[in-house]
Amino acid sequence: MLNLYRFILRYSTWILFIIYVIASSWLLFARNPYQRHVWLTSANAVSGALYSATNSVTSYFYLREINEDLQVRNAQLEHEVLALKNRIANYQAMEFADTARIDSSLSRYHFAVAHVINNSVSRPTNYITLDRGSDDGLRPEMGVVDQNGIVGIINVVGKHTSRVISLLNPYLRVSCKIKGHDVVGSLVWDGVDPSMAILEELPRHAVYEPGDTVVTSGYSSVFPEGVPVGVVLERVAAREENFRTLRVKLSTDFTTLSTVRIIIDDLADELRTVEDDGKTERKTSIPQKMPSTAQ
Amino acid sequence: MTRTALFYILLGLILAISQVVVFNHICLFGVAVPFVFIYLLIALPLTLGQGKVLTIAFIYGLVIDIFSDTMGLYALGSTVMSALRHPVVRLFFPREDELTDPRPSVDSLGLAVFLRYSVTLTLIFSIVVVLADSFVFFNPLRILLLIAGSTLITTALIVALDFITVNRREKRL
Repeated sequence: MLNLYRFILRYSTWILFIIYVIASSWLLFARNPYQRHVWLTSANAVSGALYSATNSVTSYFYLREINEDLQVRNAQLEHEVLALKNRIANYQAMEFADTARIDSSLSRYHFAVAHVINNSVSRPTNYITLDRGSDDGLRPEMGVVDQNGIVGIINVVGKHTSRVISLLNPYLRVSCKIKGHDVVGSLVWDGVDPSMAILEELPRHAVYEPGDTVVTSGYSSVFPEGVPVGVVLERVAAREENFRTLRVKLSTDFTTLSTVRIIIDDLADELRTVEDDGKTERKTSIPQKMPSTAQ
Repeated sequence: MTRTALFYILLGLILAISQVVVFNHICLFGVAVPFVFIYLLIALPLTLGQGKVLTIAFIYGLVIDIFSDTMGLYALGSTVMSALRHPVVRLFFPREDELTDPRPSVDSLGLAVFLRYSVTLTLIFSIVVVLADSFVFFNPLRILLLIAGSTLITTALIVALDFITVNRREKRL
Protein backbone atom coordinates (compact mmCIF):
# COMPACT_ATOMS: atom_id res chain seq x y z
CA MET A 1 0.00 0.00 0.00
CA LEU A 2 2.82 2.30 0.95
CA ASN A 3 4.65 1.35 -2.18
CA LEU A 4 1.61 2.12 -4.27
CA TYR A 5 1.29 5.48 -2.55
CA ARG A 6 4.96 6.21 -3.22
CA PHE A 7 4.56 5.13 -6.79
CA ILE A 8 1.60 7.42 -7.29
CA LEU A 9 3.43 10.28 -5.60
CA ARG A 10 6.51 9.74 -7.71
CA TYR A 11 4.74 9.58 -10.99
CA SER A 12 1.88 11.91 -10.02
CA THR A 13 2.78 14.34 -12.79
CA TRP A 14 2.73 11.60 -15.44
CA ILE A 15 -0.47 10.12 -14.11
CA LEU A 16 -2.05 13.56 -14.06
CA PHE A 17 -0.81 14.21 -17.59
CA ILE A 18 -2.22 10.93 -18.86
CA ILE A 19 -5.53 11.57 -17.13
CA TYR A 20 -5.81 15.03 -18.65
CA VAL A 21 -4.87 13.82 -22.10
CA ILE A 22 -7.42 11.00 -21.92
CA ALA A 23 -10.08 13.38 -20.61
CA SER A 24 -9.50 15.92 -23.36
CA SER A 25 -9.33 13.23 -26.03
CA TRP A 26 -12.56 11.77 -24.76
CA LEU A 27 -14.17 15.18 -24.90
CA LEU A 28 -12.76 15.72 -28.36
CA PHE A 29 -14.14 12.48 -29.77
CA ALA A 30 -17.35 12.32 -27.79
CA ARG A 31 -18.53 15.88 -28.24
CA ASN A 32 -17.32 16.86 -31.70
CA PRO A 33 -19.32 15.26 -34.52
CA TYR A 34 -16.51 15.53 -37.07
CA GLN A 35 -13.82 13.92 -34.92
CA ARG A 36 -16.33 11.33 -33.74
CA HIS A 37 -17.21 10.46 -37.31
CA VAL A 38 -13.56 10.18 -38.34
CA TRP A 39 -12.80 8.08 -35.29
CA LEU A 40 -15.69 5.72 -35.90
CA THR A 41 -14.87 5.42 -39.59
CA SER A 42 -11.24 4.56 -38.99
CA ALA A 43 -12.17 2.23 -36.12
CA ASN A 44 -14.62 0.49 -38.42
CA ALA A 45 -12.02 0.21 -41.13
CA VAL A 46 -9.60 -1.39 -38.70
CA SER A 47 -12.15 -3.81 -37.27
CA GLY A 48 -13.42 -4.57 -40.79
CA ALA A 49 -9.93 -5.43 -41.96
CA LEU A 50 -9.46 -7.61 -38.90
CA TYR A 51 -12.73 -9.45 -39.44
CA SER A 52 -12.05 -10.06 -43.12
CA ALA A 53 -8.58 -11.39 -42.28
CA THR A 54 -10.04 -13.83 -39.74
CA ASN A 55 -12.80 -14.75 -42.10
CA SER A 56 -10.45 -15.49 -44.96
CA VAL A 57 -8.68 -18.00 -42.72
CA THR A 58 -11.68 -19.60 -40.99
CA SER A 59 -13.79 -19.85 -44.15
CA TYR A 60 -11.61 -22.73 -45.34
CA PHE A 61 -12.71 -24.83 -42.39
CA TYR A 62 -16.32 -24.73 -43.55
CA LEU A 63 -15.65 -25.53 -47.20
CA ARG A 64 -16.44 -29.21 -46.71
CA GLU A 65 -19.85 -28.53 -45.20
CA ILE A 66 -20.57 -25.87 -47.78
CA ASN A 67 -19.63 -28.29 -50.52
CA GLU A 68 -22.00 -30.93 -49.18
CA ASP A 69 -24.78 -28.38 -48.91
CA LEU A 70 -24.16 -27.35 -52.47
CA GLN A 71 -24.25 -30.95 -53.66
CA VAL A 72 -27.59 -31.51 -51.96
CA ARG A 73 -28.93 -28.29 -53.38
CA ASN A 74 -27.60 -29.19 -56.81
CA ALA A 75 -29.36 -32.54 -56.69
CA GLN A 76 -32.61 -30.84 -55.73
CA LEU A 77 -32.29 -28.37 -58.57
CA GLU A 78 -31.47 -31.07 -61.10
CA HIS A 79 -34.53 -32.96 -59.99
CA GLU A 80 -36.58 -29.83 -60.38
CA VAL A 81 -35.18 -29.19 -63.85
CA LEU A 82 -36.13 -32.71 -64.91
CA ALA A 83 -39.64 -32.30 -63.53
CA LEU A 84 -40.04 -28.97 -65.33
CA LYS A 85 -38.71 -30.40 -68.59
CA ASN A 86 -41.24 -33.18 -68.28
CA ARG A 87 -44.02 -30.68 -67.74
CA ILE A 88 -42.90 -28.60 -70.71
CA ALA A 89 -42.87 -31.71 -72.90
CA ASN A 90 -46.41 -32.50 -71.76
CA TYR A 91 -47.57 -28.98 -72.52
CA GLN A 92 -45.90 -29.11 -75.92
CA ALA A 93 -47.66 -32.35 -76.65
CA MET A 94 -51.00 -30.82 -75.62
CA GLU A 95 -50.37 -27.77 -77.75
CA PHE A 96 -49.36 -29.93 -80.67
CA ALA A 97 -52.57 -31.88 -80.37
CA ASP A 98 -54.63 -28.70 -80.05
CA THR A 99 -53.13 -26.83 -82.99
CA ALA A 100 -52.87 -29.72 -85.44
CA ARG A 101 -54.99 -29.00 -88.50
CA ILE A 102 -57.88 -31.40 -88.73
CA ASP A 103 -59.98 -31.62 -91.83
CA SER A 104 -63.72 -31.35 -91.21
CA SER A 105 -64.19 -34.69 -92.90
CA LEU A 106 -62.01 -36.15 -90.22
CA SER A 107 -64.29 -35.08 -87.40
CA ARG A 108 -64.88 -38.67 -86.40
CA TYR A 109 -61.19 -38.93 -85.73
CA HIS A 110 -59.15 -37.38 -83.02
CA PHE A 111 -55.51 -37.57 -82.17
CA ALA A 112 -53.35 -38.66 -79.27
CA VAL A 113 -49.79 -37.43 -79.22
CA ALA A 114 -46.90 -39.69 -78.36
CA HIS A 115 -43.14 -39.53 -78.40
CA VAL A 116 -40.99 -42.07 -80.17
CA ILE A 117 -38.73 -43.76 -77.64
CA ASN A 118 -37.30 -46.40 -79.91
CA ASN A 119 -37.04 -46.58 -83.67
CA SER A 120 -35.13 -48.48 -86.32
CA VAL A 121 -34.80 -48.02 -90.07
CA SER A 122 -31.97 -50.37 -90.98
CA ARG A 123 -33.44 -53.78 -90.17
CA PRO A 124 -35.38 -55.93 -92.64
CA THR A 125 -38.46 -55.55 -90.41
CA ASN A 126 -38.65 -52.30 -88.48
CA TYR A 127 -40.69 -51.43 -85.43
CA ILE A 128 -41.23 -48.22 -83.47
CA THR A 129 -41.89 -47.90 -79.72
CA LEU A 130 -44.05 -45.10 -78.31
CA ASP A 131 -44.35 -43.76 -74.78
CA ARG A 132 -48.14 -44.02 -74.66
CA GLY A 133 -50.19 -47.12 -73.96
CA SER A 134 -53.64 -48.44 -73.18
CA ASP A 135 -53.93 -46.01 -70.24
CA ASP A 136 -53.84 -43.21 -72.78
CA GLY A 137 -56.57 -44.73 -74.91
CA LEU A 138 -54.39 -46.55 -77.41
CA ARG A 139 -55.55 -49.84 -78.92
CA PRO A 140 -54.02 -52.16 -81.50
CA GLU A 141 -54.70 -51.36 -85.16
CA MET A 142 -54.67 -47.63 -84.72
CA GLY A 143 -52.88 -45.59 -87.35
CA VAL A 144 -49.84 -43.51 -86.52
CA VAL A 145 -48.90 -40.40 -88.49
CA ASP A 146 -46.53 -37.52 -88.07
CA GLN A 147 -46.69 -34.01 -89.51
CA ASN A 148 -45.51 -35.25 -92.93
CA GLY A 149 -47.36 -38.46 -93.49
CA ILE A 150 -48.14 -41.95 -92.27
CA VAL A 151 -45.77 -43.77 -89.96
CA GLY A 152 -47.27 -47.14 -89.21
CA ILE A 153 -49.92 -49.07 -87.32
CA ILE A 154 -50.02 -49.95 -83.66
CA ASN A 155 -49.42 -53.61 -83.13
CA VAL A 156 -48.96 -54.31 -79.43
CA VAL A 157 -50.19 -52.10 -76.59
CA GLY A 158 -48.87 -52.10 -73.05
CA LYS A 159 -50.18 -50.00 -70.20
CA HIS A 160 -47.79 -47.14 -70.84
CA THR A 161 -46.01 -48.06 -74.05
CA SER A 162 -46.93 -49.48 -77.38
CA ARG A 163 -45.23 -50.99 -80.42
CA VAL A 164 -45.87 -49.76 -83.92
CA ILE A 165 -45.28 -51.72 -87.07
CA SER A 166 -43.32 -49.22 -89.11
CA LEU A 167 -44.15 -48.53 -92.70
CA LEU A 168 -40.60 -49.75 -93.24
CA ASN A 169 -41.75 -53.31 -92.58
CA PRO A 170 -42.61 -55.63 -95.46
CA TYR A 171 -45.43 -57.18 -93.41
CA LEU A 172 -47.38 -53.94 -93.46
CA ARG A 173 -49.47 -53.15 -96.49
CA VAL A 174 -51.41 -49.95 -96.67
CA SER A 175 -54.19 -49.29 -99.10
CA CYS A 176 -53.31 -46.15 -101.08
CA LYS A 177 -54.33 -44.23 -104.16
CA ILE A 178 -52.94 -41.55 -106.40
CA LYS A 179 -54.55 -38.25 -105.45
CA GLY A 180 -57.20 -37.23 -107.96
CA HIS A 181 -57.82 -40.73 -109.23
CA ASP A 182 -59.83 -43.43 -107.61
CA VAL A 183 -57.58 -46.32 -108.57
CA VAL A 184 -56.37 -48.06 -105.46
CA GLY A 185 -53.12 -49.90 -104.89
CA SER A 186 -51.20 -51.39 -102.07
CA LEU A 187 -48.14 -49.72 -100.58
CA VAL A 188 -45.36 -51.92 -99.25
CA TRP A 189 -41.72 -51.45 -98.37
CA ASP A 190 -39.24 -53.35 -100.46
CA GLY A 191 -36.64 -53.43 -97.69
CA VAL A 192 -33.99 -51.43 -99.55
CA ASP A 193 -34.19 -47.68 -98.95
CA PRO A 194 -35.89 -46.20 -95.87
CA SER A 195 -37.10 -43.23 -97.93
CA MET A 196 -38.69 -45.31 -100.71
CA ALA A 197 -41.60 -47.74 -100.94
CA ILE A 198 -43.43 -49.62 -103.70
CA LEU A 199 -47.02 -48.95 -104.70
CA GLU A 200 -48.19 -52.09 -106.40
CA GLU A 201 -51.39 -53.77 -107.52
CA LEU A 202 -52.45 -50.67 -109.41
CA PRO A 203 -54.73 -51.50 -112.36
CA ARG A 204 -53.14 -51.24 -115.75
CA HIS A 205 -55.40 -48.38 -116.78
CA ALA A 206 -54.29 -46.22 -113.92
CA VAL A 207 -53.18 -42.77 -115.06
CA TYR A 208 -50.25 -41.15 -113.31
CA GLU A 209 -47.46 -38.65 -113.68
CA PRO A 210 -44.17 -38.70 -111.81
CA GLY A 211 -44.61 -36.23 -108.93
CA ASP A 212 -48.23 -37.17 -108.28
CA THR A 213 -49.12 -37.37 -104.62
CA VAL A 214 -49.95 -40.73 -103.09
CA VAL A 215 -52.50 -40.68 -100.26
CA THR A 216 -54.34 -43.25 -98.18
CA SER A 217 -57.47 -44.58 -99.72
CA GLY A 218 -59.64 -44.67 -96.62
CA TYR A 219 -60.70 -48.24 -97.26
CA SER A 220 -59.94 -49.17 -93.71
CA SER A 221 -60.71 -47.65 -90.32
CA VAL A 222 -56.99 -47.38 -89.61
CA PHE A 223 -56.22 -44.32 -91.75
CA PRO A 224 -58.73 -41.76 -92.90
CA GLU A 225 -58.85 -40.97 -96.58
CA GLY A 226 -56.27 -38.51 -97.90
CA VAL A 227 -53.42 -38.82 -95.44
CA PRO A 228 -50.23 -38.06 -97.41
CA VAL A 229 -47.90 -40.95 -98.02
CA GLY A 230 -45.43 -39.77 -100.65
CA VAL A 231 -44.97 -38.84 -104.28
CA VAL A 232 -44.66 -41.03 -107.36
CA LEU A 233 -41.11 -41.29 -108.64
CA GLU A 234 -41.15 -43.78 -111.50
CA ARG A 235 -42.56 -46.98 -112.83
CA VAL A 236 -40.83 -50.22 -112.01
CA ALA A 237 -41.12 -53.57 -113.62
CA ALA A 238 -44.17 -55.38 -112.33
CA ARG A 239 -44.26 -59.01 -111.37
CA GLU A 240 -47.68 -59.46 -112.83
CA GLU A 241 -48.58 -57.97 -116.13
CA ASN A 242 -52.09 -57.02 -115.18
CA PHE A 243 -50.95 -54.55 -112.64
CA ARG A 244 -48.72 -51.52 -112.55
CA THR A 245 -46.04 -50.99 -109.95
CA LEU A 246 -44.65 -47.54 -109.01
CA ARG A 247 -41.77 -46.41 -106.84
CA VAL A 248 -42.90 -43.88 -104.26
CA LYS A 249 -40.76 -41.38 -102.36
CA LEU A 250 -42.09 -41.40 -98.82
CA SER A 251 -42.94 -38.05 -97.31
CA THR A 252 -42.21 -39.22 -93.79
CA ASP A 253 -38.58 -39.04 -92.73
CA PHE A 254 -38.24 -42.13 -90.58
CA THR A 255 -34.70 -41.29 -89.52
CA THR A 256 -35.76 -38.17 -87.61
CA LEU A 257 -39.02 -39.37 -86.13
CA SER A 258 -39.78 -37.83 -82.73
CA THR A 259 -43.34 -36.77 -82.06
CA VAL A 260 -46.18 -38.64 -83.69
CA ARG A 261 -49.96 -38.60 -83.61
CA ILE A 262 -52.12 -41.66 -83.14
CA ILE A 263 -55.37 -41.57 -85.02
CA ILE A 264 -58.21 -42.62 -82.78
CA ASP A 265 -61.35 -43.46 -84.74
CA ASP A 266 -64.47 -42.89 -82.66
CA LEU A 267 -66.41 -45.24 -84.92
CA ALA A 268 -63.84 -48.02 -84.85
CA ASP A 269 -65.66 -50.05 -82.19
CA GLU A 270 -68.99 -49.57 -83.93
CA LEU A 271 -67.54 -50.56 -87.26
CA ARG A 272 -65.95 -53.62 -85.73
CA THR A 273 -69.18 -54.74 -84.07
CA VAL A 274 -71.16 -54.06 -87.22
CA GLU A 275 -68.71 -56.01 -89.32
CA ASP A 276 -68.49 -58.79 -86.74
CA ASP A 277 -72.29 -58.91 -86.45
CA GLY A 278 -72.49 -59.15 -90.21
CA LYS A 279 -70.16 -62.10 -90.16
CA THR A 280 -71.99 -63.86 -87.34
CA GLU A 281 -75.37 -63.09 -88.87
CA ARG A 282 -74.23 -64.54 -92.13
CA LYS A 283 -72.91 -67.56 -90.32
CA THR A 284 -76.09 -68.04 -88.33
CA SER A 285 -78.55 -67.05 -91.03
CA ILE A 286 -77.27 -69.47 -93.59
CA PRO A 287 -78.23 -72.58 -91.62
CA GLN A 288 -81.64 -70.98 -90.87
CA LYS A 289 -82.18 -70.30 -94.54
CA MET A 290 -80.96 -73.68 -95.61
CA PRO A 291 -83.91 -75.54 -94.25
CA SER A 292 -86.26 -72.96 -95.71
CA THR A 293 -84.78 -73.35 -99.18
CA ALA A 294 -84.90 -77.04 -98.66
CA GLN A 295 -88.52 -76.75 -97.94
CA MET B 1 2.52 35.76 -3.75
CA THR B 2 -1.09 36.86 -3.60
CA ARG B 3 -0.28 39.74 -5.84
CA THR B 4 1.38 37.43 -8.35
CA ALA B 5 -1.59 35.07 -8.21
CA LEU B 6 -3.95 37.96 -8.77
CA PHE B 7 -1.84 39.08 -11.72
CA TYR B 8 -2.03 35.64 -13.30
CA ILE B 9 -5.75 35.37 -12.70
CA LEU B 10 -6.31 38.76 -14.28
CA LEU B 11 -3.99 37.90 -17.18
CA GLY B 12 -5.79 34.60 -17.72
CA LEU B 13 -9.18 36.30 -17.68
CA ILE B 14 -8.16 38.99 -20.15
CA LEU B 15 -6.47 36.49 -22.45
CA ALA B 16 -9.43 34.12 -22.33
CA ILE B 17 -11.91 36.88 -23.14
CA SER B 18 -9.79 38.29 -25.95
CA GLN B 19 -9.21 34.79 -27.39
CA VAL B 20 -12.91 33.90 -27.32
CA VAL B 21 -14.24 37.28 -28.45
CA VAL B 22 -11.56 38.45 -30.89
CA PHE B 23 -8.84 36.00 -31.84
CA ASN B 24 -11.01 32.97 -32.41
CA HIS B 25 -12.58 34.84 -35.32
CA ILE B 26 -9.29 35.71 -36.94
CA CYS B 27 -7.72 33.44 -39.53
CA LEU B 28 -5.03 35.44 -41.27
CA PHE B 29 -4.61 34.54 -44.99
CA GLY B 30 -6.74 31.50 -44.23
CA VAL B 31 -3.82 29.75 -42.55
CA ALA B 32 -2.78 31.67 -39.41
CA VAL B 33 -4.90 31.41 -36.25
CA PRO B 34 -3.55 33.35 -33.25
CA PHE B 35 -3.70 31.32 -30.02
CA VAL B 36 -2.89 34.18 -27.65
CA PHE B 37 -4.39 32.52 -24.57
CA ILE B 38 -1.41 30.16 -24.30
CA TYR B 39 0.71 33.12 -23.20
CA LEU B 40 -0.57 32.49 -19.68
CA LEU B 41 0.82 28.94 -19.73
CA ILE B 42 4.10 30.12 -21.20
CA ALA B 43 4.39 32.83 -18.56
CA LEU B 44 3.54 30.65 -15.54
CA PRO B 45 6.43 30.62 -13.02
CA LEU B 46 8.90 27.83 -13.62
CA THR B 47 9.00 27.19 -9.88
CA LEU B 48 5.35 26.15 -9.88
CA GLY B 49 4.86 22.39 -9.43
CA GLN B 50 4.36 20.42 -12.61
CA GLY B 51 1.12 18.89 -11.33
CA LYS B 52 -0.33 22.31 -10.69
CA VAL B 53 0.80 23.57 -14.08
CA LEU B 54 -0.87 20.59 -15.78
CA THR B 55 -4.10 21.12 -13.86
CA ILE B 56 -4.15 24.83 -14.63
CA ALA B 57 -3.42 24.14 -18.30
CA PHE B 58 -6.16 21.52 -18.57
CA ILE B 59 -8.82 23.61 -16.85
CA TYR B 60 -7.79 26.75 -18.69
CA GLY B 61 -7.89 24.97 -22.03
CA LEU B 62 -11.24 23.47 -21.14
CA VAL B 63 -12.66 26.90 -20.32
CA ILE B 64 -11.52 28.23 -23.69
CA ASP B 65 -13.01 25.08 -25.29
CA ILE B 66 -16.36 25.64 -23.64
CA PHE B 67 -16.59 29.17 -24.99
CA SER B 68 -15.15 28.28 -28.40
CA ASP B 69 -17.29 25.17 -28.82
CA THR B 70 -14.25 22.98 -29.49
CA MET B 71 -14.67 20.49 -26.67
CA GLY B 72 -11.33 19.01 -25.59
CA LEU B 73 -9.27 20.44 -28.43
CA TYR B 74 -7.50 23.30 -26.59
CA ALA B 75 -7.47 21.30 -23.33
CA LEU B 76 -5.44 18.61 -25.10
CA GLY B 77 -3.07 21.13 -26.68
CA SER B 78 -2.56 23.03 -23.42
CA THR B 79 -1.92 19.87 -21.42
CA VAL B 80 0.64 18.53 -23.88
CA MET B 81 2.33 21.90 -24.19
CA SER B 82 2.52 22.42 -20.42
CA ALA B 83 3.97 18.97 -19.87
CA LEU B 84 6.87 19.89 -22.18
CA ARG B 85 7.53 23.31 -20.62
CA HIS B 86 10.40 22.24 -18.37
CA PRO B 87 12.21 20.06 -20.92
CA VAL B 88 12.07 22.91 -23.45
CA VAL B 89 13.45 25.47 -20.95
CA ARG B 90 16.23 23.09 -20.03
CA LEU B 91 17.02 22.60 -23.70
CA PHE B 92 17.66 26.28 -24.34
CA PHE B 93 18.60 27.49 -20.84
CA PRO B 94 20.49 24.73 -19.05
CA ARG B 95 21.15 26.83 -15.96
CA GLU B 96 17.57 26.85 -14.76
CA ASP B 97 18.63 27.55 -11.17
CA GLU B 98 20.33 30.77 -12.16
CA LEU B 99 17.06 32.40 -13.26
CA THR B 100 16.56 35.82 -11.68
CA ASP B 101 12.82 35.73 -12.16
CA PRO B 102 10.86 32.45 -12.04
CA ARG B 103 8.56 33.80 -14.74
CA PRO B 104 9.97 33.12 -18.23
CA SER B 105 10.20 36.42 -20.10
CA VAL B 106 12.49 38.42 -22.35
CA ASP B 107 13.98 39.95 -19.21
CA SER B 108 14.70 36.74 -17.35
CA LEU B 109 15.81 34.53 -20.26
CA GLY B 110 17.00 37.02 -22.80
CA LEU B 111 15.26 37.68 -26.12
CA ALA B 112 16.92 34.89 -28.08
CA VAL B 113 16.21 32.17 -25.52
CA PHE B 114 12.70 33.43 -24.84
CA LEU B 115 11.98 33.49 -28.57
CA ARG B 116 13.17 29.91 -29.00
CA TYR B 117 11.26 28.84 -25.88
CA SER B 118 8.01 30.42 -26.97
CA VAL B 119 8.39 29.33 -30.62
CA THR B 120 8.96 25.72 -29.57
CA LEU B 121 6.02 25.63 -27.18
CA THR B 122 3.72 27.40 -29.65
CA LEU B 123 4.80 24.98 -32.35
CA ILE B 124 3.98 22.02 -30.10
CA PHE B 125 0.60 23.52 -29.25
CA SER B 126 -0.16 24.28 -32.91
CA ILE B 127 0.83 20.81 -34.05
CA VAL B 128 -1.39 19.14 -31.46
CA VAL B 129 -4.35 21.43 -32.06
CA VAL B 130 -4.19 21.44 -35.87
CA LEU B 131 -3.70 17.67 -36.11
CA ALA B 132 -6.45 16.94 -33.61
CA ASP B 133 -8.73 19.35 -35.45
CA SER B 134 -8.17 18.04 -38.99
CA PHE B 135 -7.45 14.50 -37.77
CA VAL B 136 -6.93 13.15 -41.29
CA PHE B 137 -3.89 13.89 -43.39
CA PHE B 138 -5.75 14.22 -46.64
CA ASN B 139 -4.23 17.67 -47.27
CA PRO B 140 -0.71 17.68 -45.76
CA LEU B 141 0.31 21.01 -47.33
CA ARG B 142 -2.60 22.86 -45.75
CA ILE B 143 -1.87 21.27 -42.38
CA LEU B 144 1.77 22.35 -42.58
CA LEU B 145 0.78 25.88 -43.59
CA LEU B 146 -1.74 26.04 -40.72
CA ILE B 147 0.88 24.93 -38.20
CA ALA B 148 3.55 27.29 -39.49
CA GLY B 149 1.22 30.28 -39.83
CA SER B 150 -0.37 29.79 -36.42
CA THR B 151 3.02 29.38 -34.78
CA LEU B 152 4.37 32.51 -36.40
CA ILE B 153 1.50 34.85 -35.55
CA THR B 154 1.06 33.42 -32.03
CA THR B 155 4.76 33.84 -31.26
CA ALA B 156 4.71 37.43 -32.50
CA LEU B 157 1.72 38.21 -30.31
CA ILE B 158 3.30 36.45 -27.31
CA VAL B 159 6.50 38.53 -27.62
CA ALA B 160 4.39 41.67 -27.88
CA LEU B 161 2.34 40.63 -24.85
CA ASP B 162 5.52 39.92 -22.95
CA PHE B 163 6.78 43.44 -23.59
CA ILE B 164 3.43 44.94 -22.55
CA THR B 165 2.99 42.96 -19.33
CA VAL B 166 6.60 43.18 -18.22
CA ASN B 167 6.69 46.90 -18.82
CA ARG B 168 3.53 47.29 -16.90
CA ARG B 169 4.97 45.34 -13.95
CA GLU B 170 8.10 47.37 -13.90
CA LYS B 171 6.04 50.53 -13.78
CA ARG B 172 4.08 49.07 -10.93
CA LEU B 173 7.24 48.18 -9.09
